[in-house]
Amino acid sequence: MTKLLNKPLKVFTIYALIILVISIPAYVLVVDFIWITELDENNWLTLQYTKNKLEAETFTEDDLEKINHIWGELQPGVSISKVEDNFSLQDSVYEAIRTNEYDPDDGEDRFRGLISYVVINGETYQLTIETNVEESDETFVAVAIVTLVFFAILIVGFIILNRKLSKNTWKPFYQTLSSLQSFELSKDRTLKLPETDIEEFQELNNSIEQLVKRNVDTYQLQKSFTENASHELQTPIALLKSKLDLLFQEKDVTPAISEILSSIEMPLSRLSRINKNLLLLAKVENQQYTEQEELSVKEYVENSLLLFEDYIEDKQITVCSDIENAIQVNTNPFLLETLTHNLLSNAIRHTQTEGAILIKLEANTLLFSNSGKAALDIKQLFQRFSMASKDKISSGLGLAIVNEIAKRENWKIDYYFENDYHTFSVEF
Amino acid sequence: MKILIIEDESELAQDMVKYLTTEQYLCEWASDYKSAINKISSYDYDCILLDLMLPGGDGLSLLSELKKLHKQDGVIIISAKNSIDDKVNGLKLGADDYLAKPFHQAELAARIESLIRRRQFDSNNIITQNEISIDLLAKTVTIENNLVNLTKKEYDLLLFFIGNKNRVLSKSALAEHLSGDFADMFDNHDFVYAHVKNLKRKLKECGYGDYLKTIYGTGYKWEI
Repeated sequence: MTKLLNKPLKVFTIYALIILVISIPAYVLVVDFIWITELDENNWLTLQYTKNKLEAETFTEDDLEKINHIWGELQPGVSISKVEDNFSLQDSVYEAIRTNEYDPDDGEDRFRGLISYVVINGETYQLTIETNVEESDETFVAVAIVTLVFFAILIVGFIILNRKLSKNTWKPFYQTLSSLQSFELSKDRTLKLPETDIEEFQELNNSIEQLVKRNVDTYQLQKSFTENASHELQTPIALLKSKLDLLFQEKDVTPAISEILSSIEMPLSRLSRINKNLLLLAKVENQQYTEQEELSVKEYVENSLLLFEDYIEDKQITVCSDIENAIQVNTNPFLLETLTHNLLSNAIRHTQTEGAILIKLEANTLLFSNSGKAALDIKQLFQRFSMASKDKISSGLGLAIVNEIAKRENWKIDYYFENDYHTFSVEF
Repeated sequence: MKILIIEDESELAQDMVKYLTTEQYLCEWASDYKSAINKISSYDYDCILLDLMLPGGDGLSLLSELKKLHKQDGVIIISAKNSIDDKVNGLKLGADDYLAKPFHQAELAARIESLIRRRQFDSNNIITQNEISIDLLAKTVTIENNLVNLTKKEYDLLLFFIGNKNRVLSKSALAEHLSGDFADMFDNHDFVYAHVKNLKRKLKECGYGDYLKTIYGTGYKWEI
């Protein structure tokens, strides 16, 4: 993943590199052209001057020899020599590469020359003017170095500007992002994003705020729906239960009818439990249990064990509890009670007859393990109504409630399967 | 003994009247806040069953009203709300007990029985039924001066049976009485058999009148 701002930076960098690389030969050609034009002009001026001087005076052949000699000694750029056959008297320009006599280490030098002809005393002389020109490969190297230095400066500039831009221009964006990251539908009611003077970000923020508001509304509606629905169901369930109680009292109930009546009790219990748990879940979600106290976890586990001892004995389950660690947790008594009850009843229900349950209280963690056959899917485990077994009585909400309580209280809940034991852990 | 049932759901109220009315109890019913206030201020009741959500007013304010009138009636809150706050507030305002809907009629009867007994505490802390006498303070049971050695659960069951005499009690009502609100987390209430069996055996050993009958397919009945 690349950051948004690094993406154009990368493209810009590559583009700048391409352009600058292309510019190197272009610069070299232009500089070379200017050099040569200038030098040719310079050579021509020198030539005109020399010609004029030579033609204005009268020199003998010996004089010319002397001049040439002196020139050769003092100013090797200009030389004069006699031409025997004069079939080509046109001015010409040449380029030559020669070793530098004075500095052999420098390698070869490039020279630009102008050849012209002058007639002195009826004799034709060839006048050569030569100037040292910078070699194009040297120009190339120089231009390349300068270009690369500028390229480096450009990139450093890009990076610095980029950082500044992302710090200032993109600040509202990152603020929005962090608000969204910390937003929790079940906890926060509204999302307030900071005002910004950048139109796009303001539009984004407005859209997000609206979207979140719609979601929060829907969520609240759904939550209150669950709560209201289970409230409404309480009375009919209560009625069914009381009618059943009355039916049992009838004198002329035959054993067959009475057996049917008994078998109604079980699904009715389940209905009642599901409804109670839905209501409980809605209440935990609505943070209706806010009062906190310092509570001993050990005490609550013992209470749960006492409450369910009949069911444990009935299934001949061996319970090993190592809960001597006296940890205190600051929480709501009802939530802690519900947590231990649900975890223990879950363990009892899912342990086969003559199985074993281990309860352990470590430094900051409460562990419930029960013997089992295969690992359960942790992703589904804490979801509502995602029953692992075809348990007839389970409300399918017990672990969802445990999960919700843990979420409310910022406890860490975990499940793992090891050595044929399912283990649920709560880290306070 | 007079019981006032304050409940807006008429069907449920009628069921309660039907279940609770015996030679011992007389039941009256108020279906809204106003008629409840009228009844409370005009008469004294041994026990008031109070639903918290009433047309015309809140059940909890009825409790405060009761206090203002310096009434001593025992109050059991029966509420579908099952919220801890209501329970705590209700008990703070002077209610004696709290029972969440849905409940077994037998549980309600046992609670009423226990409430009335508690309120007569000073004069009578021993329940006597023919040859059986139960000392509520010491939590002991004697049959013709022989101490019956019962576990806590067997003792609870005995009180539950006596509070629901001549009524058929289903297994789930018994399980719920013993394990409270959480009995419906389990699909097997067979442990009830074991407790009842033990209770029956121990009472029999001391020679009681064999009042505890098993009703085939349903549960048990304390017949007297």
